Amino acid sequence: MPRWLRYSIVVGIAALVVVLMLSFRRDPHDIRTGTVNKPAAAFTADRLDGTGTLSLSDYAGKVVVLNFFASWCPPCKEENPALVRVWERYRTSDVVFIGIVYEDATDKARTYVSTNGVTWPTVRDDDGRIAFAYGVFGPPETYFIGPDGVIAGRHIGPVDEATLVASIDKLRAQASR
Amino acid sequence: MTRERAVILVALLAIFGAVAWSAWPHETTAAERVDRITSELRCVTCQGLSVKDSPAASARQMRDLVVQRVAEGRTDDEIRGEFRASYGDWVLLSPPASSWTGLIWLVPVVALAAGLAVVVRRMRAIVPSAAAPSTRELAALRERVAREEALDLPQADGAE
Repeated sequence: MPRWLRYSIVVGIAALVVVLMLSFRRDPHDIRTGTVNKPAAAFTADRLDGTGTLSLSDYAGKVVVLNFFASWCPPCKEENPALVRVWERYRTSDVVFIGIVYEDATDKARTYVSTNGVTWPTVRDDDGRIAFAYGVFGPPETYFIGPDGVIAGRHIGPVDEATLVASIDKLRAQASR
Repeated sequence: MTRERAVILVALLAIFGAVAWSAWPHETTAAERVDRITSELRCVTCQGLSVKDSPAASARQMRDLVVQRVAEGRTDDEIRGEFRASYGDWVLLSPPASSWTGLIWLVPVVALAAGLAVVVRRMRAIVPSAAAPSTRELAALRERVAREEALDLPQADGAE
């Protein structure tokens, strides 16, 4: 086998090992797609409770936690207690939660919200436009938007209390600087 | 020209004409554009299915969005770009060759070229020497053959 080919194979394997090492170090729930570190897509959507519309721009300057959920989604139920606890902790501050119903019937989503203690504002996304704008693959997904309107982070799958608190506190600390 | 030849000529002209007409660039309809774009986009909730082929609700919503964007007069690149902005190159079933993901296209070509290079080198290495024996060597060989035939030995070099 020629020397150049041997060197090429060694370099190729070494590059593969480095890529795998870097990939394994990453949190699989934190997938950096095109929308992270970019301005959050503006939207106006109907509130789930039927009391008009909600616009993201209404919460400009605040830390926004955007949570995509559905009543048919078991991991959404799994993460909901953490969301409720953290919401109760921050609801009187500059932090707002917005729930976005993902591919779900309105009546089922309303039942889910009322039976699971979801008291933060929730909106419908019947045509999926908000989900597409944020690059959602499926519920649950949670986006952390800073007071500057930029998506600072994204969590795929059920989010836990520690992740919520850490992400929110980080954005609040940045805002107070 | 016989009548048969004339018929063959007319038939050939008809075939070439039909092929040329079908290949001639024509203005695509909105439906054709939607079909083309949705066949290039990956359904975000499926495994390896295009938006066009998937029956999933999210694929239907993506298709509706493409229909709307086409009706609004957006170009194909703008529509694809909208989904790429949210999902990255992943949302395209065939990654673009222009970005770093173009390596996906390049790597097989490089691997094939490297494999061919190895095969060619190996084949060259096993080709026997093409140098013709010298007159002296030929004479020695002939003399040896004659000697062995004279002795009527079954095998040369004293082998049994």
